[in-house]
Amino acid sequence: MKKLIVLSSIIIAGLSACHKANESGSSGAVDFVTLEGEVINDFTNNVVYFRYVSLVHSAEEMQTSVNNLVAETSDANLADARAKWKAMRADWEQSEGFLMGPVESNDYDPNTDTWPTDYVQMDSLLASANPLTTDDVKNLSQSLRGYHPLEYMIWGKGGSKTAAGITARQKTFMTSLIDDLLENNVQALFNDWFLGSSNYKEQVVTAGQGSTEFSTRQALFLNIVSAMSDICGEVGSGKMYEPFVARDSTITESPYSSNTLVDFKNNIVGLQQVYLGLNGGKGIHNLVAARQLDLDQKIQAHINAALNSFDQITVRYEEAIFSQRTQVQNTMDQLEALNDLLENDLKNFIITNVRD
Amino acid sequence: MKKIFIIAIFGSLVFLLSRCHKAELAPETAYDDRLSGGKATVFDETSHALTHSIDGMEARDLRVHELGDQAFEAKFVAPPAPVFSGLGSIFNNVSCINCHRNDGGGFPSTGSATSGLLMRISQAGMDPHGGPMAVEGYGTQIQDLSVYGYKAEATVNISYTEIPFTYPDGSKITLRHPVYSLQNPYLPIGVSYMLSPRLAPPVIGLGLIDNIPEATIKSFVDKGDKNGDGITGKVNIVYDGFTNSYAVGRYGLKANTATLLSQVAAAYQQDMGVTSYVNPAESSYGQGQWPSGTDDGKTELADSILKFTTFYVRTLAVPARRNITDPDVKAGSALFNQINCSGCHRPTIMTGPDFNLPQLSGQRIHPYTDVLLHDLGDGLADDRPDFLATGREWRTQPLWGLGLLQKTTGTAFYLHDGRARTIEEAILWHDGEAARSKQAFTNLSKAERNQLIKFLNSL
Repeated sequence: MKKLIVLSSIIIAGLSACHKANESGSSGAVDFVTLEGEVINDFTNNVVYFRYVSLVHSAEEMQTSVNNLVAETSDANLADARAKWKAMRADWEQSEGFLMGPVESNDYDPNTDTWPTDYVQMDSLLASANPLTTDDVKNLSQSLRGYHPLEYMIWGKGGSKTAAGITARQKTFMTSLIDDLLENNVQALFNDWFLGSSNYKEQVVTAGQGSTEFSTRQALFLNIVSAMSDICGEVGSGKMYEPFVARDSTITESPYSSNTLVDFKNNIVGLQQVYLGLNGGKGIHNLVAARQLDLDQKIQAHINAALNSFDQITVRYEEAIFSQRTQVQNTMDQLEALNDLLENDLKNFIITNVRD
Repeated sequence: MKKIFIIAIFGSLVFLLSRCHKAELAPETAYDDRLSGGKATVFDETSHALTHSIDGMEARDLRVHELGDQAFEAKFVAPPAPVFSGLGSIFNNVSCINCHRNDGGGFPSTGSATSGLLMRISQAGMDPHGGPMAVEGYGTQIQDLSVYGYKAEATVNISYTEIPFTYPDGSKITLRHPVYSLQNPYLPIGVSYMLSPRLAPPVIGLGLIDNIPEATIKSFVDKGDKNGDGITGKVNIVYDGFTNSYAVGRYGLKANTATLLSQVAAAYQQDMGVTSYVNPAESSYGQGQWPSGTDDGKTELADSILKFTTFYVRTLAVPARRNITDPDVKAGSALFNQINCSGCHRPTIMTGPDFNLPQLSGQRIHPYTDVLLHDLGDGLADDRPDFLATGREWRTQPLWGLGLLQKTTGTAFYLHDGRARTIEEAILWHDGEAARSKQAFTNLSKAERNQLIKFLNSL
């Protein structure tokens, strides 16, 4: 009898040892799941919402400034338009830290941020009888819409433009350019994310809980990490590397305004905001820190190192590819190391830890 | 007795532990069914799932792939310009990526930056090489956009008629049938003409398709339908102007192009108006808007860029399957074979040797195509022959990556012209050689149909 008891207790112990990987219901796991939800909410409300509202606002300010410039074409108003363009551009570039959803699927990115600008067609267009209304601009080729044609209108080649050099047709064109950018793109992008019944925000916050876009939370987090990694790779291996290796200053991103380097850094600032969270909210870093503190510290250190390395480049990027190659190479190296971490370690962390 | 007891304890422990197994990861066969592209498979199910290079390429090859990636994304501008020069004078879009969204499919619209559908045109008869007969002033493709100073050849108008469909079990669904017409032709079209719409397809796994031995493709043909399954299949033999020779067609929705190089070069020249060493003449050469004189023969695309872009699509990886242990997906996979969808959408093929890229060489792949032409019935017919392809025949479209198209494209559209808004609609348009399979699909229970669709979404 005693032996039977021993035997059955072994059997019970044996059976209780069998459990599936996803059934470990410790309190730590529950906290982590709660944390996942908080990070998703804060990503949506504190990072994306904040940045897109800010982008709408800065585009409105640009619109006002262009209207002022057209009404009174002075060098002071031209300088103001240039400042407002840079402010708007900072919001846009930072929003590229989360290049996913409507910005991608509804083409707001290629509609507004295509380069190079098409000088030949722009000259033909300005010389033509096209009325250049906002609707006309909306139907133009992507290389004639958005930030860069507007940049070209207010700076000119080599930043040489003066208020006196702005023609009536150029005034019409720049007015419609900013109207198209604001109404058909920036505002529409915000609306797609946050307004209406089928908005993208709902898809994000219900990830793994009914979202048709993200059947699991893991899928959402992987998409966010993939977007971070993509922008990191695009800056380091694309936008910086190509002009650098070709020693060609005509293929940099914002050549008229000499804003190229600022654009690059703002992309990484946007990435950092997604990782750390913004305005007191939680970010992906909170998830990583909860389970793998050393990885979190490593990622933070690499983001900081990459951001700081931009400041070692002290001339505009179009010059730096010739005169500060060591510094440029250093930044690209930093971005590559960061991207390795995101693409491998952070992605694996999500796969291992976000289990739904 | 004690010995027996100890043996009993150990025995029961071994038995019990053998009952413990973790959540199933993959079938315990010699193969991992997730690897749709063999070694050229990538694990990513985000909107960028189709944009990855195959793993493990040498640094030099990876660099060429990256340069091809940039060329694929480059928006061309009107000449003369310092970079990406050569757009037009007439074209369908300004970059590869504008139609092949995230390296996936396009939108079935025409005449805008986000349009991914173009219209082929021809008249009765054949050109000297057995290909479609060009229409004077238009060639064999309608370019519906132009740079300033030129006219688009025409506007392509698309309208749809709704067609209700009722399953034997009473379930209802609405299909839509497209009707195409040309408006505002830049000059009168003096002959009766045939139109054929072509939606930009995904460009993944093309290096693997390229590496399927010709003999393998030919072996899938069942001339005279000896096995009596209603499916015969046909190889398209097409003329390649660059090599001045005939070859098996693999690319294009009617398998009307023999090589990746010719496919990419034709897309540059016909779709974007960018000339290259393969197609040195402008698409508008000799047509109504041609200024006069002969084409200067100067190519707009550097030879290297054409090679980079070709290498890029050759080395795009195939996404791994998802949810393969899901019971519905497994059941759907069995149904796919039972109702003989697999008669044309062949699940498994071996690639031939490739001495430069081992990831493409001798791979056991799951493309779900036989690369053959099949009669798909009247509903899908374009009534426009293309070399050996009749007006009812289309090439079996590979199905790998199918379940990710919604994410990668933004909104997915299916079939050669994007008329199908869901995979279910696409299945219901099948007819001709696929009539029996389509019939069998409609006779499945709703639950079974959903299992089959769930399986297709796992690809």
